[in-house]
Amino acid sequence: MNRMFNGIGALRKLTLFATAILMTACAHTVSVDGEFPAPVGNPHPLTVGVYLSDDFSDFTYSENRDDRDEWNINTGRAQKNLFETVLGSMFTETINLAQYPTNLPKGLDLVIVPEVRELQFTMPRETRVNIFEVWIKYDMHAYNQQGDAVAEWVITAYGKTPTAFLKSQEAALAQAINVALRDAGATLYTGFERVPELQAFIDNKQRALSMKQTGGNE
Amino acid sequence: MKFLSVFFSVSVLTLLSSGCTTVVIDEYRRSTGELAMGDSVVILGRRHSSDYETEPDLIDCVGKTLHNPKAGVNVIPERQFVDALYPWFEPRTAPMHIKSLDRLMDIPDVRDRMEKYGVKYIVWIDGSTETTSSAGSIGCSIGTAGAGCFGFGTWDKESDYEASVWDFRDQELSGKISADAQGTSYMPAIVVPIPLIARVQNNACKGMAAQLQEFLLPPQSASR
Repeated sequence: MNRMFNGIGALRKLTLFATAILMTACAHTVSVDGEFPAPVGNPHPLTVGVYLSDDFSDFTYSENRDDRDEWNINTGRAQKNLFETVLGSMFTETINLAQYPTNLPKGLDLVIVPEVRELQFTMPRETRVNIFEVWIKYDMHAYNQQGDAVAEWVITAYGKTPTAFLKSQEAALAQAINVALRDAGATLYTGFERVPELQAFIDNKQRALSMKQTGGNE
Repeated sequence: MKFLSVFFSVSVLTLLSSGCTTVVIDEYRRSTGELAMGDSVVILGRRHSSDYETEPDLIDCVGKTLHNPKAGVNVIPERQFVDALYPWFEPRTAPMHIKSLDRLMDIPDVRDRMEKYGVKYIVWIDGSTETTSSAGSIGCSIGTAGAGCFGFGTWDKESDYEASVWDFRDQELSGKISADAQGTSYMPAIVVPIPLIARVQNNACKGMAAQLQEFLLPPQSASR
């Protein structure tokens, strides 16, 4: 009798093991780990705090649809690198904040907080074009020292790889995401002063600086 | 031993034989080449189209083939240049017309880096290589007596590239070079598949690089 129970237990374990293997057989994991160059240009005359939340720095996009395999795409580390590099070169002074909104250092003109709104991707077999494509959308928030919203804007980024030839799907997708992140950095850098509220903020700051300089000279 | 000799023969045959490719190069020139010692050339791929992308390996191939400091042609690798001038030469931000360079040169740091590199010419290559048709089939099987493949496959490839040469210092279009290449690859399989590959993209690259060298150098030094 005891032997029969042992047999059923072993069979149950084997079934569970086989089910686990079948369930994970179609799961893909991608970890994007990119390094990005520092932008070249004139920094804006602002002291800016940058807060990258844990959700942002560890961001993982998970998808498990009936018509697709399961995908887990971690872009957290790469996008943290990107935003720290790009925002670090955009202003005269940039301070990375460990927390927000408490314990803010004094003298900040703005605090910038990015969030991932959306990530989408397509595979060559879905579009019948031999490229992998990725879209990422970020919600950008800018606050003043008091925590009031100064501006909110959206960054959309697009990346593609020419082909997955001799590459795994995961490697090709990671490459497309890195291209999309470079694009996000380019849009963030070149589009910052096109946001009307930020343009006005920079103009005010420049005016205040030039008045201070004129006052100092007199 | 017999198997080894067959395998060796097949390998040599594969190495020696390749499909045929025809390459047609056209040139439209507005000014003569003025590349001097110390000047640099940048070769960049256009990547703004949604349905194709100029292949990075084609750009790399043209750059490496053209790079010849002894002849006076110094090519800056695409990746190095694009990273050094990030984000101004990304697909979204890259200047589409030579007049847009003016706006870019208003940024002192960008102007300084371009001058540091000694950029004289920017060559934009736009196009791609595609498989246009394929036919045939090859079947492989494995059994107790051994394994083997039988059949015949063939496919056509077409390359279509256009290079626009911008004179960065004079801020003008110096000319255009186009390279159209076509080739058919064959793969007969009698036990072992024997690929006879037409190197269409590679031949387009070499044709374009040779023409660019003639284009960029002053007439007397191009003949060297």
